[in-house]
Amino acid sequence: MKKIILTIILSAGSLTSCADLEVTPTSFVTEDNYFITQDDAVASVTAVYASLSLDPGEQSLFGRNLYFLTDMASDYAAAGVSATNPQVRALSSLNHDATSDRVQVAWRQIYAGINRANVSIDNIPKVSGSEVVKTRLINEAKFIRGLLYFQAVRLWGGVPIVLHEASSINLGDLKTNRSTADEVYAQIIKDLTDAEALPKTYSATDAGRATSGAAKAILAKVYLTRKDWPNAIAKSREVINGGYGYALFEEFQDIFTKTKKNGKEHIFSVQFEPNQAGNGSSGSTFQATSFTGFTATEPADIISDVALFYDIYATGDKRRDVSYAKQLLNPATGTLYTFPKPIFKKYLDLTNLATPGNVAINFPVIRYADILLSLAEAINEQSGPTAEAYELINQVRRRAFGKAITTPDATVDLAGLGQTSFRTAIQEERKKEFVQEGQRWFDLVRWGTLVTEVKKVTAKNSVSERNNLYPIPQSERNINPDGLPQNPGY
Amino acid sequence: MKKKLNIHILLFLLFITAGIQAQNTTPLIQSKLDGTVADDITNQPIIGASVTIKGTTHGVVTDAEGKFYFQTGQKFPYTLIISYIGYKKLEIIVEKNPVIIHLKEERQELEELVVVGYGTQKRKDITGSVASVPKANLSQVTSSADNLLRGAVAGVVVTQSSGRPGASSSVRIRGGNSITAGNEPLYVVDGILIYNDNSNSSAGVAFAGASVNVLSTINPADIESIEVLKDASATAIYGSRGANGVVIITTKKGTKGQDNISYQGYFGFQNISKKLRLMNASEWASLRNDVQASIGQAPSFSAAQIEALKTSGNYDWQSAAFITAAPVQNHNLSFSGGDEKSRYAVSAGYFDQDGIVLGSDFKRISLRVNYERNYSQKFKFGVNANYTNSISNGVGTNGGAGAGRNPNPLVSVLLTAPVVPIKNEDGSYNVTNNPYATSVNGYVPNPINDLDNTTNETKLNRILTSLFGEYKFNKELTAKVAVSGDVLNTKQNYYAPSNTTTGAGTKGLASIGERLVSSVLNENTLNYNTHFGENHKFSALGGYTLQYTKGEVSNAGAQTFVNDANTYNAIQDGVPVKPYSDAYESVLKSWLTRVNYSYKGKYNFTLSGRADGSSRFGSESLWGYFPSAGFSWNITDEEFANNIKGVTEAKLRLTAGTTGNQEIGNYLPLASMGSVNYSFGGTLYTGLAPTRLANPDLKWEKTNQYNVGLDLSLLDRKINFVFDVYYKKTKDLLINVPVPLSSGYATVLQNIGGVENKGLEIGLTTENVKTKNFAWNSNIVFSLNRNKVIEIGNGVNEFFPVVPNGSLLQQQPVIVKVGLPLGSFWGYKTNGIFQTQEEVNTQPKINSLANTKVGDRKYVDTNGDGVITALDKGNLGTSQPKFVGSFSNTVSYNDFDLNFSFQGTYGGKIFNALNQQLEISTLGTNAAATLNDRWTPTNPSNEIPRASSSPLGIVSERYVEDASFLRLKLITLGYTLPKSVSKKLGTKSVKIYVSAENLITWTKYTGYDPEVSSYEQNNLYPGIDFGSYPNSKTFISGLNVTF
Repeated sequence: MKKIILTIILSAGSLTSCADLEVTPTSFVTEDNYFITQDDAVASVTAVYASLSLDPGEQSLFGRNLYFLTDMASDYAAAGVSATNPQVRALSSLNHDATSDRVQVAWRQIYAGINRANVSIDNIPKVSGSEVVKTRLINEAKFIRGLLYFQAVRLWGGVPIVLHEASSINLGDLKTNRSTADEVYAQIIKDLTDAEALPKTYSATDAGRATSGAAKAILAKVYLTRKDWPNAIAKSREVINGGYGYALFEEFQDIFTKTKKNGKEHIFSVQFEPNQAGNGSSGSTFQATSFTGFTATEPADIISDVALFYDIYATGDKRRDVSYAKQLLNPATGTLYTFPKPIFKKYLDLTNLATPGNVAINFPVIRYADILLSLAEAINEQSGPTAEAYELINQVRRRAFGKAITTPDATVDLAGLGQTSFRTAIQEERKKEFVQEGQRWFDLVRWGTLVTEVKKVTAKNSVSERNNLYPIPQSERNINPDGLPQNPGY
Repeated sequence: MKKKLNIHILLFLLFITAGIQAQNTTPLIQSKLDGTVADDITNQPIIGASVTIKGTTHGVVTDAEGKFYFQTGQKFPYTLIISYIGYKKLEIIVEKNPVIIHLKEERQELEELVVVGYGTQKRKDITGSVASVPKANLSQVTSSADNLLRGAVAGVVVTQSSGRPGASSSVRIRGGNSITAGNEPLYVVDGILIYNDNSNSSAGVAFAGASVNVLSTINPADIESIEVLKDASATAIYGSRGANGVVIITTKKGTKGQDNISYQGYFGFQNISKKLRLMNASEWASLRNDVQASIGQAPSFSAAQIEALKTSGNYDWQSAAFITAAPVQNHNLSFSGGDEKSRYAVSAGYFDQDGIVLGSDFKRISLRVNYERNYSQKFKFGVNANYTNSISNGVGTNGGAGAGRNPNPLVSVLLTAPVVPIKNEDGSYNVTNNPYATSVNGYVPNPINDLDNTTNETKLNRILTSLFGEYKFNKELTAKVAVSGDVLNTKQNYYAPSNTTTGAGTKGLASIGERLVSSVLNENTLNYNTHFGENHKFSALGGYTLQYTKGEVSNAGAQTFVNDANTYNAIQDGVPVKPYSDAYESVLKSWLTRVNYSYKGKYNFTLSGRADGSSRFGSESLWGYFPSAGFSWNITDEEFANNIKGVTEAKLRLTAGTTGNQEIGNYLPLASMGSVNYSFGGTLYTGLAPTRLANPDLKWEKTNQYNVGLDLSLLDRKINFVFDVYYKKTKDLLINVPVPLSSGYATVLQNIGGVENKGLEIGLTTENVKTKNFAWNSNIVFSLNRNKVIEIGNGVNEFFPVVPNGSLLQQQPVIVKVGLPLGSFWGYKTNGIFQTQEEVNTQPKINSLANTKVGDRKYVDTNGDGVITALDKGNLGTSQPKFVGSFSNTVSYNDFDLNFSFQGTYGGKIFNALNQQLEISTLGTNAAATLNDRWTPTNPSNEIPRASSSPLGIVSERYVEDASFLRLKLITLGYTLPKSVSKKLGTKSVKIYVSAENLITWTKYTGYDPEVSSYEQNNLYPGIDFGSYPNSKTFISGLNVTF
């Protein structure tokens, strides 16, 4: 009996002496065991890319959330009956304000990606491993950072420039005031110029990483947005003539075909794969919100005005039936189903309609057709339509109509336009080409035609000049009201 | 230094054990005495009363007839001391044999011993606020001990989150202190400290729904008493775990005397207390026609079809989900007794409850051994061991209406169109034919099939054991060492066959998981009791404790099965889904002390405190200190108070102190990296991204509490009155403080917020009638609490907690706002219906609803800017009631006794998200019958809007309903067989009873039941009803026999 009591007390004693208040977690990575090897550096940059396509609990940045701002709040797209978020409907009708959750989420996602890039850029130099790989990884992070700041500066104007990870949880260390748009553009150009040192291509297993061509292509768009025509022209030409092997797909549909991912027309795409965001879910929600099954229920994402945006395609323009579906074959019944309104189709995987969350179609951030049209636009703005400019836009048109891309074809080629009508032609072409590709609102703002174009859609007649920028999220201004003055009209 | 001291104590205890020796005494046999002990009023024999001869150690215990017998060396006359719990101790001089002794029942509120933290105290000496759960409450039909607290004690609010058997409840003592951390009280079961974290009963298996109540692992039939410690003076000894109050559960122990075998059992059945009024087929067909008209479609039902549906073709999905007369049974067999040296209680229990919803049940086997032995006069040791095994089949009810792959079947049964057949003609479930739903892989959702055929099983095994040794050095000093272990193992199995809503998209979905949480606790205490002269009583307690907890969890799953034959038992046959595992550990070291001083029994002082070192806190703040002080004054012991007529006893209590809350989760001070995926070349790669910033200053939440109490006994203790007022201010609240998003982080966890609770509590126990044959006692409990958020941090005044449900996420029904209580609802006020196009053109509309039409609902433009925006939303009330109360009665007449108790709350609100969902008209779903009165040009309703396709859910005052209710919670009629009869049956006592629970409820609430909280123990969004498992009416008949 005494022995038992002794045992009890001894075991109590041993228990007491072995326990320590400092417990080390065994189920997650902490700062202490990270950024040691090159593998850590690679993983950190993988996370930088993932900020584009993944945000657990939210729709990811390029998986739909940016679409609300760059497409639904433009002219051609609207919130359908299935869109239950009042904030989404407010964006669709241009009635959003600074409390808009979509605007706030976009801001958060952009800065979360910038922070991940900052963490990589700050910490990769200290890891062991090949300097070549480390430099490449840092430049990849800079590419994404530049790309995200480019989105931010166009959406909000001068935004806070944050280039290093937060050093403490003190509010003073976490707050950053707005910079001017010029300062932000200077930073973007700096990051993207560094990223021009990236490899031209990668092995097949690394397909999808940022390349020097991607950096130049985004730079070309930056200069185009800045109306810096000479630089826009120069950078576009570097993309076209730089030996990257970029070309238009012969078939417009191929841009959105799973098996043609990262093909010759894709300069930089956000990658979506099944199960990326967990079981049964990729980071893209476009299919689920564009297609609600073979029912009359209107999806959340829908064309705003059939006459203005669907009926405009000329006969034979293949882009209409790649961008929209008026009818779709129901595999269960084998019959064609006709929708009340054409639905968006670019991100529908017709081979996989049952699990809409697992759609693996990439989101093209920039593709070769965009560079062709951008160069044509810059040339036209600088010197009016030249033969080169005509050839650029006509290549895009010929492909759209299924013609040989480099063979002049009078049935579709444009000719004999003045600078203004060429400008209009470019604008019409981009409208038809880039449905659901995150371009429309940026284009309209760049051209200064946002209010006139959007007003043409009755349900969107609340549009006004304030809509050329989005409001700084109210939650952000609550914490830093002085450092973050609001954009006009909000 | 601290470690050293601790080792010294242990060495010291080692010496103690070395000195243990046995002792024995034997009485001399010279004379004998026969006696009977009985109640002085009822004349009923008192069984088990202890009778000792004064001045000797010789004592006996009365038998089943109240009789005792002595053979003693003493000669008449000598003095007997007779004592029995609940009766006044009596000393009488006996002069001859035999003797009949009458004991007077003691209304001894102030004399009784009350269990407090790490010991017991006389109620008279207590300074803190400690309440005991009345015995009558302990016999309710429930699977779980925390439900016994319901309506039992002032200041305790128990909300059942679900009526599912074995489901969890949320318990709030004096309101919620915390915003992010746990708000549940600390449970102390036979000295083992348990935080009732219901996530411990979940292995994170897909779609498993509401968690199983971890406290269901303690058999309520084993419980002897429950004490609730409410103020800081009582709870500070529990330090960083005391802030939410402490519930001390003591299980039944053996007593010296005869061996008893007793059986307690009941059978019963349960029914749903209420069904919701939905549209029938004919009504729905006409609604659908109207919805179609609103979007320019041709109607799909002709007038003749609508008429025909009145007589045939109506399918009641709601009723199909509920089971009539679902059985419940409970059996407990216990053996207890003791002799001079040992006391034991051994019990076995079996509980089996079918749920009122198809496919749900709860079964439990529980075994317990409590044993205690006096090894010698100085040393005693004992063991309390408990094993339970339970299996519960659940319904994934907490998913809300969320469409897609994981709908809540209890919502789906309400939403399924009533023209769709439930079963095919051959009796199988209809999973193919529903033109109003989307078919996935050939299957349409059938929620009845989902309920019936989805496996959703949680198995719990728990071993809760403590061993202790106690050594009495002398009359004054006692040392105690206790070691306890708590092992909770959870296994979950889930399978959704390929024809269920969840399984259709993936062709079957299986998931299995396991969690193992083990905790070891060592407590070493020293107790010192003394007095200096008659006037000064002094006691002190000191101790060191250590608790180590380790948890491990893993789950795995698969989908795309060839067939459904092997369910979750062969996940290798499917395509794997991502597995998951996690592990965590925590250590809590504590020093504790309490000092009591009493002057003449009139003035009592208590100082207590605890120092806690917790591994959960940041490296800069590992140790927290929690002191308290209490004073009580027995006014009636003062001379001036002697003559106050009618006042038997009066006591004033004043206390103040600080307690903490360490339920903040593990490892939170550390920065962490989370895994994310991205694909290159079509292959997914894992990336690691920072998920939170380090906060080395992170620490416990701190509550300062002040309490003033008055205990009053009137008219010879016929009326007992306990009154408390308190003020609690919690600061350093752990809050995910919003930081600038431009930092890359949305929030940082900091100790920054503040919450205030203040309230008053009244407990009133009265003995209304007491005669020889008839007695009536009442117990009234009343409490009110006012809760207010006083700080959130970083200059932020409000935030909307993220409600994890698709549509509620966007509606943001709940706000946390400085100045308002936690759980406040935020939305629009309504203003009737647009009746004319002119009203639509001129009156404020929701700006995001571009197509407002005649017949749509109007909202109030509170800021007068001409449009309805988020700025027009306002406070619609809180789920926290203004006051709660209960009124319990025990009436006995001869051998009959009747217990009945009413419970109620007043002034709380519920956001009826379910009704909101049911009042949304769509082309495919059924709706609430209220929509029959919808606006049409010929029926210009000013309450129900027009039919339209998928209008948005908007949080408005219409759906924030009054949750006040009054309920006849429990009524029990019992009959105890007369002694003569039970003796003939060979038993000591036999009682039979019938009982009804939730028999009548008076409420304006339109949902199933006003006691509801879909999100379980969550602090931020309580009081949302989104298809919780409804409560039931229960009828049972039972039998208690003692042999």
